[in-house]
Amino acid sequence: MSETTTDAAVLQPNLALVLERITDGFFALDADWRIAYMNAEARRLLRVDADPIGHVWLEQFPKARGRLFEREYGRAMREQTPVQFVEYSTTADCWFEVKAYPSPDGLSVYFRDVSSRIEAQREVERNARRQRAIIDFGRSALGGLSYDQLLADALDLIRDVLETPIVEVYRYDRQRHRFVVGGAIGWPTGTAFDPGDPPLGHVQHSVRTGEPFVSTDLRIDPRARTLASLEPSGARACICVLIGTPYQPVGTILAYSMQPRTFAVGDVRFVESIAQTVAEAASAHESNRQMRQVIESIRDAFVSVDRDLRISYVNERMARFWGYSPAEMIGMPLADITSPSADAGARAYGFFEAALHTGRPQYFENLFGERWYEFRIYPFSDGVAAYVRDITRRKAEQDRIIELNAELERRVAERTKQLELANKELESFSYSVSHDLRAPLRAIDGFSIALVEDYGEQLDERARNYLDRVRKAAQRMADLIDALLRLARVARAAITYSTVDLSEIVESFVAELRDRDPERAVEFVVRPGLEASGEPNLLRAALENLLGNAWKFTRNAERPRIEFGQNEGGEFFVRDNGAGFDMSYGNKLFGAFQRLHAVEEFEGTGIGLATVARIVHRHGGSIRAEGAIGKGAAFYFTLPSHPDGAA
Amino acid sequence: MSKPYILLVEDNPDDIELTQRAFAKNHIINEVVVLRDGAEACEFLFNSDRAGRALPQVILLDLKLPKVSGLEVLEKIRAHEGTALIPTVILTSSKQEEDLLEGYRLGVNSYVRKPVDFNEFVEAVRQVGLYWLVLNEAPPVAGGGI
Repeated sequence: MSETTTDAAVLQPNLALVLERITDGFFALDADWRIAYMNAEARRLLRVDADPIGHVWLEQFPKARGRLFEREYGRAMREQTPVQFVEYSTTADCWFEVKAYPSPDGLSVYFRDVSSRIEAQREVERNARRQRAIIDFGRSALGGLSYDQLLADALDLIRDVLETPIVEVYRYDRQRHRFVVGGAIGWPTGTAFDPGDPPLGHVQHSVRTGEPFVSTDLRIDPRARTLASLEPSGARACICVLIGTPYQPVGTILAYSMQPRTFAVGDVRFVESIAQTVAEAASAHESNRQMRQVIESIRDAFVSVDRDLRISYVNERMARFWGYSPAEMIGMPLADITSPSADAGARAYGFFEAALHTGRPQYFENLFGERWYEFRIYPFSDGVAAYVRDITRRKAEQDRIIELNAELERRVAERTKQLELANKELESFSYSVSHDLRAPLRAIDGFSIALVEDYGEQLDERARNYLDRVRKAAQRMADLIDALLRLARVARAAITYSTVDLSEIVESFVAELRDRDPERAVEFVVRPGLEASGEPNLLRAALENLLGNAWKFTRNAERPRIEFGQNEGGEFFVRDNGAGFDMSYGNKLFGAFQRLHAVEEFEGTGIGLATVARIVHRHGGSIRAEGAIGKGAAFYFTLPSHPDGAA
Repeated sequence: MSKPYILLVEDNPDDIELTQRAFAKNHIINEVVVLRDGAEACEFLFNSDRAGRALPQVILLDLKLPKVSGLEVLEKIRAHEGTALIPTVILTSSKQEEDLLEGYRLGVNSYVRKPVDFNEFVEAVRQVGLYWLVLNEAPPVAGGGI
């Protein structure tokens, strides 16, 4: 025994020297689990400050109780067999690879820190897991999962892969330009979770920069300031990733661990990938939603079919028309739909096929029962889309318009016929007037003269005077008849437009007037070159009437002056400084047989101005008069230019 | 062979008397044969018998006549070989454009409108008579009855 002791005493310094030099941690336990030896490296790794020699191992490292360390050391001593294992040491906060060799006296334990190796290995595994998760997640995003379900899945997935107990998502509210909590998992019970919470500082940080916000320990991170609401949850480390871009944010994803933690680059990339997928799904969801809204907002019935003529989308209105709900129609072959009208249905089917095969839009109207529908079918890459609108009312209105038009035409034709008849009657009437009314007048005049000639000696002065008046009256009536006929002719005459030199007509008529009445000295002022478009004969008649009047009514003027010209407003005018008229009777001026002067004063039929007015009106123009008693009269008239006449 | 005479186709007795009076006032002594309507005129002109008369020197034709109108009579006169060349003057109250055109189109020689004023009427008749009975040389076959 002493020898052994001596051996040990002799050997101990040498052994100790060796054991202090090895890079592994080493310690030895005696049979009672007391620490017999511990080298410097072991003390460093296990953070042992005070001298542990002689202490019971479990008392020195109470955290090891019940763990692999205790179990394996026990087995080695019991079974007297070497053990080897890798385990995480909570005491040292690292991974140890441990080899323990038993002897009857106790146990020699060699161990080294393999944390970096283990970590690398675990990181490889985690990466593989993340990859799988991302692929699975992408698949479910594509697989028609609803957006809300996708978000919920994203939260679960991040928690599982990152092993972060709290995960939450903020949604960006585009209307209100702010982030609101959109969903969360893992909030410790008793912690207030309020969906209306204002966003945290780090959310805003990631939104501003578009970069992930990663914090190892929020309590000491100067960037995380608004943590008051987070404090009770005990969250410590955090990853915050923006969904979308700073220009078009969709939301943020946040993952918290309850301990300070240095997140692996792979963790951050993973959350970014999930965020990317969510952003894409959100964008698809949004455009889908918009598209749907657009389609649903269309008041038309709408249906789209795929290239096999199966229904791929149908809105409420369209489905109702067919007697189905939209959901039960998806995938239904168009041919299987029982149309409210078999013939119309078959016809419509033909147009769907045509649109599909020709690639050209189809438009047609179709009668289902008593209602008309307008179909517009547009081909697109995956099939054709059809808009269907009830046009029964429009159709009815169209029919009504056609009916009204026909009715109108019939009435116009009728009226035209009546007018033609009336014109014919008027013609024969005028003919009779000119022929039959004149004959008696001629007889009155002729026999009055015959009386004077044959029985002159038997008649006294007075009788002859009477006969003279009889003759004058007959003559006047003849003039009236002629004037009436002229007026009637103006009304009936067809107007063939050409350019008419009004000034020339005036000049030639002025010459005629001077010829007729050479002793009268009247000053004429005629503006040359005034042209209008119209029927030359009628315009001549109108001008001759106006000039004739002016000539007549300036008879008693001191220095008679007659003017023809055009004013700034484009009105032609004939102005004189003759007898004039009282403006208060102006409205009677243009009526047939209206006279403002006594026949004895100024002769005339009272039809001249009526004729002028009718000529001007028939040319689409207007006429007005200005005047004052003793101050002359002026007649203004317009003659609109006509396409057939150059003026 | 009868003397050259004037054929007056006129239905109005007043006009007939006034026309005859105008002839008289103008010292036109040729006989005036008066027919009262178009049918009568046609019968007279186109019947070879014609009560033993030759064709008239000049025909004065009113337009508005009973039965057959003046223009129809004119058309027949011009269509008929024997009468086609007889100087024919329309003497009427109407100066309707259509009548004037139709008259000339059918080959009337003159168109005179009867004025209401009797003095003017006398003057018109004077000129017509002077022209057609004195100044104008009649076509060889007409009127002369050669």
